Amino acid sequence: MINEELYEHSESVNELLARYGVKFGIYKNGVFHEQLFPFDMIPRVIEKDEFEFLERGLKQRVKALNEFINDIYHDKKIITDGVVAEEFIYSGSGYLVQCDGISPPKNIFTHIAGIDLVQSKNGEWFILEDNLRVPSGASYPMIARELCRRSFPEEFEKYHVEDNRNYAEILSRTMSYVNTGGLSVILTPGRFNAAYFEHSYLAERTGARLVTCEDLIVDDEHLYFIDYSGKRERISDEYLDPVNFNRESLIGIPHIFDIYSKGNVALINAPGNGVADDKGIYYFVPAMIKYYLGEEPILNNAPTYLPYYDKDKQYVLENFDKLVIKDVAEAGGYGVTFGNKLSKQEKENFIALIKSEPRRFIAQEVIDFIDIDIYDNGQAVPRKADLRAFVLMSDEPVVWKSGLTRFSRNPDSFIVNSSQGGGFKDTWVMKE
Amino acid sequence: MQRLRYSYHMQLNFEEPVREHHFKLRCFPSSDERQKIFNEYINIYPTHFSSAEKDSFGNMCIYGAANQTHDHFSVDVKGEAEININGQLKVEAYKAGIFKYETNLTKAGNNIREFHRTLEPSALYTSNFERAKYFMNVLYDEFSYVQGVTGIFTTGEEAFTIRSGVCQDYAHILLALCRLERIPCRYVAGMIPGEGATHAWTEIYDEGKWRLLDPTHNRECDDTYIKISSGRDAQDCSINQGVFYGGGRQRQEVKVIAEKV
Repeated sequence: MINEELYEHSESVNELLARYGVKFGIYKNGVFHEQLFPFDMIPRVIEKDEFEFLERGLKQRVKALNEFINDIYHDKKIITDGVVAEEFIYSGSGYLVQCDGISPPKNIFTHIAGIDLVQSKNGEWFILEDNLRVPSGASYPMIARELCRRSFPEEFEKYHVEDNRNYAEILSRTMSYVNTGGLSVILTPGRFNAAYFEHSYLAERTGARLVTCEDLIVDDEHLYFIDYSGKRERISDEYLDPVNFNRESLIGIPHIFDIYSKGNVALINAPGNGVADDKGIYYFVPAMIKYYLGEEPILNNAPTYLPYYDKDKQYVLENFDKLVIKDVAEAGGYGVTFGNKLSKQEKENFIALIKSEPRRFIAQEVIDFIDIDIYDNGQAVPRKADLRAFVLMSDEPVVWKSGLTRFSRNPDSFIVNSSQGGGFKDTWVMKE
Repeated sequence: MQRLRYSYHMQLNFEEPVREHHFKLRCFPSSDERQKIFNEYINIYPTHFSSAEKDSFGNMCIYGAANQTHDHFSVDVKGEAEININGQLKVEAYKAGIFKYETNLTKAGNNIREFHRTLEPSALYTSNFERAKYFMNVLYDEFSYVQGVTGIFTTGEEAFTIRSGVCQDYAHILLALCRLERIPCRYVAGMIPGEGATHAWTEIYDEGKWRLLDPTHNRECDDTYIKISSGRDAQDCSINQGVFYGGGRQRQEVKVIAEKV
């Protein structure tokens, strides 16, 4: 049995992961903690055919999302044609008015998309979320695979798994494709950022320089990197974490947005693309696919209702107990409420809130998604797990043949986010 | 058609010297369908570099940096404007969509909402412009022009609560009222004849055109209104955004002169 063979190496691999500092940081009550991200040896295995199906669906989805962002910041045809409700665009926090009219290099907004999926017990896959604001996580299965191969190289060969160590190449290609003629850098807010391990690992693997805001300066119409000798080198490519990008206060790199709007630097991912990963906008993605590509969606959303529409609100109120309600402004597993877990009083309050602020919530059918075994104290036990697939855009979208499988360590929980104490697995896409 | 001469002077005086001062200025009237600018003169001092661009609202901006140590920073803009307030061409409705929705500065809180409920129903008004004019009239009776009681970060709701403020506050409250009914409307920063500070007024989207109302004076705008910039609210039109090292306290002087030629 493969799983048991793998489990024998669990301790040595986890030890290596700790030594390499595979951690993520979280803020709780305003204090920064760094945690190891628990790794479970049993991989999620996806057969070749199945992955090819996912690949088609994911490419289609990301293409449509990119078209959508382009449209929203230019002609807004999808609003004029009444396919997407205007209010969800303009009163959502993801829409950045400053980006209106700006065309990024090669018109790419969604350079790196992290699409979260789950598989239901009858085998059907559902999209749960589109993450377009530089989704993190690819580095974890990359390094886990690397360290597993190092621990038991011969055994690994016989499994016929697609090599996932090419993520760095795909990312480099994505960066070069939009490069406007300078250095590639990966910008990190620094050591105390949740994704610092990822930033440093990807910089090392792609050969891009890891920089902080202090290393970059805008002079005239270009961005420069200041090296230790004080020399300035022109930069035209950038991996920017837009969460830390606060243009209005000009904190960060002053004028980077000004020169971006002139086309003198590429920012990955493009600022403003949060407009498409809003939980409210998610509802409209299947309609977007039909609208922009003239195709039927290959991968479905989990059945979703917008209380903003009266018909949906009616359904939500009548079926409250079997739905999961999400606050569109929250992320990372926060703001998620299961209807059946509320007391009578809590339920009444919550329904009143939905009625007064319908724009703020979406409701979804609870998908009973599959369990995958994890080892807990030497014992294989089933736990809920999702999959974050990574789609990188250059001339065409490319789906990385791996992904981050996250699981809940709590047997009763559907919430797999690492910030909520979940762990991760490697994702094996089989060659045959 | 009216021709006016204008001059805008702004100076920042720093108590302690500053360096690596990055700025973005938005204080330059530019030519469009309603106004033609002639004999423009711009002087920004000191600068290490500067570069011009238009922001997403079409406002002319100059960004740049002054790296060397300095204890004051000044901007002078002079020119002549020829204005034909009715010169605007049709604007497609989708371009006005963003202006229907509240911003932090134009969000109606309980006080504006309560006031709105006491007003005549919208069904009595046949157009966005007539409705907005009605709002302007009732606001003018309710509100007093008082300097020094509000600041640049005061929201429409806060100003309305104390029933007093300046042109920026009049404009924000009018915008908040219009946006409660999803009437597209924008904030305009500019200059009118006289001496003093910049002025602010509003534009209401009505049947394909932006029509102008000056709520501070309770009147429609005429050919003497020189536009500097427009946006969703005063923040979109901020004249000077900057970051620098050092400085201690700073004092800002602004002097605007506009006169008919």
